[in-house]
Amino acid sequence: MSRGPAVRLERLLGRLVVDHLGVPAGRIEDVVTEPDGEAYRVTHVILGPEGRVARLFAFGYQLPTFRALGLGRKPRTRRLPWTWLDLGDPEHPRLRPEVA
Amino acid sequence: MLIGRDIMDQQVVDARGRLMGKVDGVVLELHEGEAAHLAGIVIGGTTLLWRLHRGLARWAERKLGGEGRITYVPWSKVGKVGVDIKVDVEAPRTPAFRWEHWVRDHFIGRIPGA
Amino acid sequence: MSKFLEIALGIVTGIGGFLEAGSLATAAQAGSEFGYQLIWAIAVGTACIAVLVEMAGRLAAVSRHTLPDAMRERFGIGFFLIPLAAVALVSFLVLSSEIGGVTLALEFATGVSHRWWAIPAALAIWLLLWKGTFGMVEKGTSMLGLVTLAFVVAALKLHPDAAGVAAGLVPRAPTHDGARYWFIAVSIVGASVSPYLFYFYSAGAVEDQWDEGYLTINRITAGVGMTFGGTVAVAALVCAALVLHPAGIQVDRYEQIPFLLTSPLARAGFWLFVAALFIACFGAALEIALQLAYLVAQGFGWRWGENLRPRDAARFSAIYTVALPLAALVIASGIDPLRLTVMSMAMTALSLPVTVVPLLVLMNDPQYLDEHTNGWVSNAAVLAVSVIACVVALVALPLQVFGS
Repeated sequence: MSRGPAVRLERLLGRLVVDHLGVPAGRIEDVVTEPDGEAYRVTHVILGPEGRVARLFAFGYQLPTFRALGLGRKPRTRRLPWTWLDLGDPEHPRLRPEVA
Repeated sequence: MLIGRDIMDQQVVDARGRLMGKVDGVVLELHEGEAAHLAGIVIGGTTLLWRLHRGLARWAERKLGGEGRITYVPWSKVGKVGVDIKVDVEAPRTPAFRWEHWVRDHFIGRIPGA
Repeated sequence: MSKFLEIALGIVTGIGGFLEAGSLATAAQAGSEFGYQLIWAIAVGTACIAVLVEMAGRLAAVSRHTLPDAMRERFGIGFFLIPLAAVALVSFLVLSSEIGGVTLALEFATGVSHRWWAIPAALAIWLLLWKGTFGMVEKGTSMLGLVTLAFVVAALKLHPDAAGVAAGLVPRAPTHDGARYWFIAVSIVGASVSPYLFYFYSAGAVEDQWDEGYLTINRITAGVGMTFGGTVAVAALVCAALVLHPAGIQVDRYEQIPFLLTSPLARAGFWLFVAALFIACFGAALEIALQLAYLVAQGFGWRWGENLRPRDAARFSAIYTVALPLAALVIASGIDPLRLTVMSMAMTALSLPVTVVPLLVLMNDPQYLDEHTNGWVSNAAVLAVSVIACVVALVALPLQVFGS
């Protein structure tokens, strides 16, 4: 199927990422890719809020009416280089200690 | 291009324009210390269960002895990504149509006038 | 087909396809119990569905996606399952109600109990879906549905007082029986704003291969068609208000509903009523069963299309092939069709936020609508109606169930 070890993106989406000290850094929302010839290279991972309330407000942000009513807040997302992720244990992604 | 937004759950269309299913999963090929590569898309099997409830997915895979018959399309066979994702594959030859054919042969096809 | 003809057909569809079991039952109850007081509820419901139908058409024309397809894509499988389940459940209940309406028409015509007609009716509906094309279903339903204009004729023959009717357009508090009033109001909204209408419309727009050039046609057919359709429902309410209300007859048994037309139109009225009830509910059942199949097939990316032979879209065909007998069984079991219908309408209202918000989010996403995203007025209006209807239903439903 592939040459290096493979991971299923759909099992990563929504997973909580913690840093090397165990502090939550966010939930995996999406990954950014760039063309690399015929292939696509994954360059960044997008982390979104980990809390339920924040995620609810992020949903509300999608509807202008909710935004106007104060029921939506732009979610704090972070865009981190893919190489910062340590997927040794795909069920528990961590940030590499050297990026602290 | 964002994989979650632009590829996941998109309609997949085969080489002859037949609807094959939706992108249920995506395989990333990892390279130590480097950027990963988009290896291919997955349709079917227990893939969707993993996105809904991991416990259920694990149970299903124990029962099935694996992830079931998935259709894997390597990225090299993926063509245009626009309204749909067009793949250079013949759907009836893949497991993607397995349930479609099963329903046709055991149920719908048996009713007169089908 | 020339654009003129398309618009004409769209309007005819709006008129002929509007009245069905739910709108008829709720209009009859509203008119018989509250006279003209609830006409505003029909107006609100009609305006809301006109806006929603236009949105669904716009989404299909610009993004070339059907609604379930776009919803799965945009929200992912997890969040898609919630509106999927809600719409499927509510649609199934309404499908049973429509089959109930068909069987009642047959009972009125033949005297044979409606329970016996459930399976044959479902079989006939199924056969038409099995063998028919999308065009047949769409055009047949709308053309034949024009027989419901009998209600307009009857209403005019009863010489309603125009000022009274106009006054009914203004929302007001009830003069009596508050809980019952709001329950019927919410059921009327649920009957008008049925999700199957805009889901079916979006599938139709894609089946007919609409593109951005159809946006104006879409606006006209949705607006004018639905408005004229709502007028038919108002006519039914007026008939009930002038025939049953003065006599103090409340519609709580379905045998009372034909009076709406027999009083002004005598013997012809009875047969017109039977025909109108049969055609309206049969057509609605066709659309709902198809829509259920579209919903699941498009959400999971299976082959779909009413113009395909069933064996070429096996899973798609299997959905309506299974749903129809199940819905028929509900009627055959002896549940009162009138009560089932009104309850289904209230449940529809209850589920509105869940079924409508995903569409609203899509309509504001430039990725799908380019520069044709919603204005703030339609967003706010639709959201307000959905949330208010849901809240009122939450209060009124238990009161109705436990109060009666």
